[in-house]
Amino acid sequence: MRLHAVEHGHRLTERLKLMLIRVASLRRVPDVVKTLFYRPEFFGRPMCDWTQAVMRGPSSWSVGERELFAAFTSRLNQCLF
Amino acid sequence: MSNGTGRYAALIERLVESVLAGPGHAASELRRAVFARAFGPHPLTPSPSGIGGTTLPLSSPLSGTERGTGGEDIAPDLAGYVDKVALHAYKVSDEDLAALKRAGNSDDLLFEVTVSAALGAAVGRLEHGLSALRGEGSPPDPLSTTWGGGAKDES
Repeated sequence: MRLHAVEHGHRLTERLKLMLIRVASLRRVPDVVKTLFYRPEFFGRPMCDWTQAVMRGPSSWSVGERELFAAFTSRLNQCLF
Repeated sequence: MSNGTGRYAALIERLVESVLAGPGHAASELRRAVFARAFGPHPLTPSPSGIGGTTLPLSSPLSGTERGTGGEDIAPDLAGYVDKVALHAYKVSDEDLAALKRAGNSDDLLFEVTVSAALGAAVGRLEHGLSALRGEGSPPDPLSTTWGGGAKDES
């Protein structure tokens, strides 16, 4: 993470959530999650609402197909996520 | 929303509103200018004029200008960073951010500029795609909608 604030500057509530994720997954929390949890009212919360509707909401595409579209788009953008 | 962004228009509008007009360390005008710059013009047609009447050049959508369509000046180094995030984010390096921080930009300002640029590029591509599906020649002006508190000089 290149911005120190986004790596370590989370508020207490979000810091606890990140800690829970780390303990439950036994893995380092992905940077994208840290970004979504940083000042979530600014970006993360409305972004997750949109993402949830697109990726899990009612659709003629299955969840798997939508995930494939997302992975393909990320690949085109040379994004490994 | 006048331009529509498909069935998720309300959710997108709320996200854009939050990022461009919500409380932040960067001025809302700067965030709007960054968003408009990253949104970019349609590849086949000149960009419509936005707030302040400035347009982005047709042949070189993001280079050669230090001004977003929001009428807010974007510092040259910040403008270069915005273009990189919008066009090929995978090329952003540690040195890019270190240089911007040395220039006096705080982490929070850079976070907001990065999000505004990424969101502008994403919504721009979405609008371009939906416009093509609708058989329209060009997407709407990125700042002519109610996003970010609405355009100041649009009816």
